[in-house]
Amino acid sequence: MSFRPQTTPNVLQDVCDTSNDLHKLLPSAIAQSKASFAESTPTLVAVSKFQKHGDQTQQALEEGSSIFAPTSSKNVTPSLSKNNYQKFCYRHNPEVKRTTRVDEDKMRQIQNSLEKLPIREQEAISNVWSLFSAAPSHHRTLMLQGLLTQCCFPQLSMLSEEVSSLIKIDFITALPSELSLKILCYLDCASLCNAAQVSTKWKKLADDDRVWHHMCEQHIDKKCPQCGWGLPLMLLKRAREMPTAPSAAATVVTPPASGSEAEQETTVTKKRKNNSGKAEPATDIDMVASSSSNSQQQAVRKTRPWKIVYSERYKVERNWRKGIYKAKEFQGHEDGVTCIQFDDQFLMTGSYDKTVKIWNVNTGELLRTLEGHNGGIKALVFDDQKLITGGLDSTIKVWNHHTGQCISTYRGHAESVLSVDFHNKTIVSGSADHTVKVWHVETRTCYSLRGHTEWVTCVKIHPKSNTIFSASDDSTVRMWDMSTNQCIRIFGGFKDNGHIGQVQCVIPLTIKDALVEDEKEGFEEDTASISEDAETGTNDENSEEDLNNKILDDPNYPTHLLTSSLDNTIKVWDVKTGKCIRTQFGHIEGVWSIAADTFRIVSGAHDRLIKVWDLQSGKCMHTFGGNSAPISCVALGDSRFVSGLENGRVKMYCFDDV
Amino acid sequence: MTQSDMKVVLISSDDERFVVDRKVAEKSLMIKNMLKHVGNNNNDDDSDEEEDDDDQNSEPYEIPISSVRGSVMKHVLDWCEHYKNVDFPTNDDGDLIAEHPVSDWDKEFLTVDQEMLYGIILAANYFNIKPLLDRACQQVANMIKGKSPEEIRKTFNISNDFTAEEEAAIRRENEWAEDR
Repeated sequence: MSFRPQTTPNVLQDVCDTSNDLHKLLPSAIAQSKASFAESTPTLVAVSKFQKHGDQTQQALEEGSSIFAPTSSKNVTPSLSKNNYQKFCYRHNPEVKRTTRVDEDKMRQIQNSLEKLPIREQEAISNVWSLFSAAPSHHRTLMLQGLLTQCCFPQLSMLSEEVSSLIKIDFITALPSELSLKILCYLDCASLCNAAQVSTKWKKLADDDRVWHHMCEQHIDKKCPQCGWGLPLMLLKRAREMPTAPSAAATVVTPPASGSEAEQETTVTKKRKNNSGKAEPATDIDMVASSSSNSQQQAVRKTRPWKIVYSERYKVERNWRKGIYKAKEFQGHEDGVTCIQFDDQFLMTGSYDKTVKIWNVNTGELLRTLEGHNGGIKALVFDDQKLITGGLDSTIKVWNHHTGQCISTYRGHAESVLSVDFHNKTIVSGSADHTVKVWHVETRTCYSLRGHTEWVTCVKIHPKSNTIFSASDDSTVRMWDMSTNQCIRIFGGFKDNGHIGQVQCVIPLTIKDALVEDEKEGFEEDTASISEDAETGTNDENSEEDLNNKILDDPNYPTHLLTSSLDNTIKVWDVKTGKCIRTQFGHIEGVWSIAADTFRIVSGAHDRLIKVWDLQSGKCMHTFGGNSAPISCVALGDSRFVSGLENGRVKMYCFDDV
Repeated sequence: MTQSDMKVVLISSDDERFVVDRKVAEKSLMIKNMLKHVGNNNNDDDSDEEEDDDDQNSEPYEIPISSVRGSVMKHVLDWCEHYKNVDFPTNDDGDLIAEHPVSDWDKEFLTVDQEMLYGIILAANYFNIKPLLDRACQQVANMIKGKSPEEIRKTFNISNDFTAEEEAAIRRENEWAEDR
């Protein structure tokens, strides 16, 4: 860019100090230029002002510099005039605080070189400078172009080097803040945090709620395709903790500008499901606030900077990745723990000792012991109001877990109830009598779903598609339509690379990101003919093709299933094709239990190991050993998982509060 | 004159004239909107348009762009020319539906000095050329990525205006992001 007016007078002044002759000559030089550049009068006025009143230098310069700016003030577009950027060029903008040290050094250098010259030459050079400084922008361009044609290559090379080191512009100062924010939104979290340490101005923008809200949108409850990181929701808990006192960290950071983030906690809360093995990933996170409906008070109480929201989750995710946790033990059961579930308040465990124990999940305190089953408990599932259990006594019981009262008992299974699930007013159970029963509590009707040829070890309702998934010791998983009570698909068999041992657990999932799949093996096509019988056995009502189309078209169906089996493997199934697309090896004995969320799978096996797997890649991230007995059940939350052992011990691994 | 072969003249702040195909100029949504009512039969609705239309159909349509200087305009129009046959679908908010990865051509195109790069960003914003704006912003972001605060200061010639205490406090505040 052009020669800066700030510095020009400096040179002039310095030259004045050193040479009286020059001092006398300078006004004439200006007078000359005044004649030739009539239109640049304001500059000249400014300069002469400066000469009369030295103390007004700065002001004069500012007035003058507007003339030198590449876009003159008459062209200012109001919408773009932030920071005077349109009025002044960046370099000459008085509002811009830059590192001037380099410029000052340069000026000193120039000054020294100048002083070594004879007075006459000093005068000539100074003349050139003042002519240039007085010239309007398009004249300057012309002058420079003329000078450039005269330059030899070494001079051009010097220019190119100088220029490239000179054109360094703080865009945060130069651009309107909307555009700076847009740029910052392309950064990763580490770079953003570095940007916040650059300067006051940078900190203000790099900590801006809009940037971090964008970061949260990109990462929370989903994996960012750019960086491969996804952060847990962790919202129910925080929403409850927040109202009392703002966290200490929040006070350090700039408070949010508006209340529009108030919903950050609450909107997502409703999507949080219970923490049993069936954490269904929230389909979408709508954190765009709708706080206008919120009372101001609420907004104030619940609002925290998005950066804090992000960093909190980031720390938890990093602990997950690094395997940093704090363990909590829950001691009390006298026999093997068979089933387990927790939320932000309660941990509930069922045991062969015929009791269900309810614990304070945070303090570890035993709140209540429920007795009533005449045999070991094999299954439990709870929500805010009720707890449903299934036991070796073949019954299903519904409890008010706040009072400990058993509300009702459902009898009908001929053998042990091994699994229960519920949704609204429907209970589903799987039993050692090979059946799945659907209990419609309101209409007092019960349907038996027959098809499995061995114990039904796990049942899950998928409410969105109104289907039930059941896993069985017959090494298959069945998918049932709840409205027709028909089996609509069987997952298993050699052709589809199914389990070869008893299936212990099934979890329906909706996964949007592409999963890493096992490579297809060469012999797959050859085996197509062998599997004919498996195919015909699959389905009585619908042809395979019809069903495929139905499942392909209906977005309500889960996209994938996770299963674990006593064949030591965990499998991932594509619901559309009915094929197993991935097998996860690593456990050396049967996998009794798995739990999963958007990011990971936790598995507990007879080999006394607990493994944490990356859901997307299928890689085993951690193995937690040192358990005193086989693991019979696991449950997973955002920042914790818990395991129940065959000897009655219960251990929780907390990746928050480390 | 048909719409497609219509020429548009953009006049920069320094009075440089750029004659481009309408198709090229319309990469700018701002200009596209401006030209909405200028078409084949511009005699019918020319009352509120620039005077050139009124008099002669053959005269190209002139648009003064007082906030963009010639050298920047040239770059921006080069970009529009390169992408004149590419459609960038946007949603209702005007955001691009798909983030287009920065192509090698874009990278080359955006390898300019900071003054020009910011000029392009301001112009792309003013002209409302979303894909160009996105890519140019990404280019700037790439100049920050992976750099320490001091390296960032050097890159953009920024003076550190924090006191030593402030700096230490802010470093602590941002420590959490450091080690992955």
